[in-house]
Amino acid sequence: MLSVINLNKTFSEKRVINNMSFDLREGEIVALLGPNGAGKTTLMRLITSFYEPDSGDVCINGNSIYNNRTEALKQIGYVPENGILYPELTVFEYIKFMADIRRIPYQNFVDNLVSLIQQLDISSVINQKCETLSKGFKRRIGIAGALIHKPQILILDEPTEGLDPNQKFFIRNFIKEYSKNSIILISTHIMEEVDALADRVILINHGKIIRNLSPERLKKTTSSGDIESAFRFATTSVLEED
Amino acid sequence: MFYDINAIFKKEFGSYFKSRLAYIVLSVYIITSLSCTFYLGNFFNIVNYNLYSFFYYQPGVLISLIPALTMKLWADERRYGTIELLLTQPMKYSSVVLGKFFAAWAFCGLMLILTFPFWLTTALFIPVDSYNVFYNYLAVLIASGALCAIGCFVSSLCRNPISAYLIAAFIGTILKMFNFDFLIKKFNISNEIIIRISQSLNFDSHYENIIQGQLTWSDMIYFSLLIIFCLWLNIMSVEYKRD
Repeated sequence: MLSVINLNKTFSEKRVINNMSFDLREGEIVALLGPNGAGKTTLMRLITSFYEPDSGDVCINGNSIYNNRTEALKQIGYVPENGILYPELTVFEYIKFMADIRRIPYQNFVDNLVSLIQQLDISSVINQKCETLSKGFKRRIGIAGALIHKPQILILDEPTEGLDPNQKFFIRNFIKEYSKNSIILISTHIMEEVDALADRVILINHGKIIRNLSPERLKKTTSSGDIESAFRFATTSVLEED
Repeated sequence: MFYDINAIFKKEFGSYFKSRLAYIVLSVYIITSLSCTFYLGNFFNIVNYNLYSFFYYQPGVLISLIPALTMKLWADERRYGTIELLLTQPMKYSSVVLGKFFAAWAFCGLMLILTFPFWLTTALFIPVDSYNVFYNYLAVLIASGALCAIGCFVSSLCRNPISAYLIAAFIGTILKMFNFDFLIKKFNISNEIIIRISQSLNFDSHYENIIQGQLTWSDMIYFSLLIIFCLWLNIMSVEYKRD
């Protein structure tokens, strides 16, 4: 289980994350939804310990990510936004590097790699340099690198941003398949993604959680009954309150 | 920790040879070193039993080349955003810093190994004191370690590799050229302690001590402390400057 407890983060006196708390449970796909600048990426960076919070904690199966960082991070696979990879490495070298960092024995690495190559359909680019890959393949390789150690928690920052419909469909299917025994947290501002994937939506705006409920219940918060209207209603009404 | 350092080391050392950088640096190093030895160092006109003409110009050559090896180590991580990927892996920051530092230092070792044929060829024609030459190689290796540590630290502060190169080369030049004796004379300082401290901070005097066959603990400690201090600064900069 992943628990976010009273998390606060300030950048140059602007509070970006404001006292956030929530839990993620096994088998759940949770979508972190919010407008641009709401604090989604900052929250992901706090959960993966890239940033340190001003106060609060993130616990993964009882391990605090700030006090027991290396142990907690072993259970996470993280794919930052924009499909960040090492441009000079080939796909194989990149995944091998990720496996080396995770101290995976060679035979396990080979087994995991073979299964990921099949699941993500990346055999055609395995010897290609990362800098020459298309956006869609960059995302797939990023996911393969994050999953080489079979983590219990997968965190994806805007995984289908800028992809064509076929690539989106492929990645969403893969995420659905992987979620059966894992916890998946995805950040997005694409409504169709929430509809297609999420078991639960955490809607954030101005660094605060404004909704934490299932997509079906979110739809029911407006008369038109779709997520986009609910999103607009929730985020603009909070703006007006501010 | 060793496992993590090794993973980073392998990736960084291998990356040098994936671009033309490694081959350019190696070629420029060999050509510049030998040019300095033969043209500036009057190789044929002085007694060269310890290859003094060769070793005397090494700091100058390395100050201009080592920043080229270290400039991309951290600056590229920031430029491409891969620093987010790297620092969210289950490794200590010190392991990442050491892995990158050892990769650059090992490359310096490779550069020095490529000059061994010059040593061996010289030994065929004139009597060479091999022990002395060995200590001189050790001096260059440890001095290059200090320059690598400075370069790594500077790279960790920059997003642009060119800026990292220029700043590291500038710091190396200042460190080599800055002569505290000049200030002591100018301000007429007579305090014995200040004079001794200032002398002990001089990069060039420690290096020359070694290449003149006077390897002492103070020289080794000076270079070792310089390496440790810069690596500590590097770890601090990675820990506190993420974007």
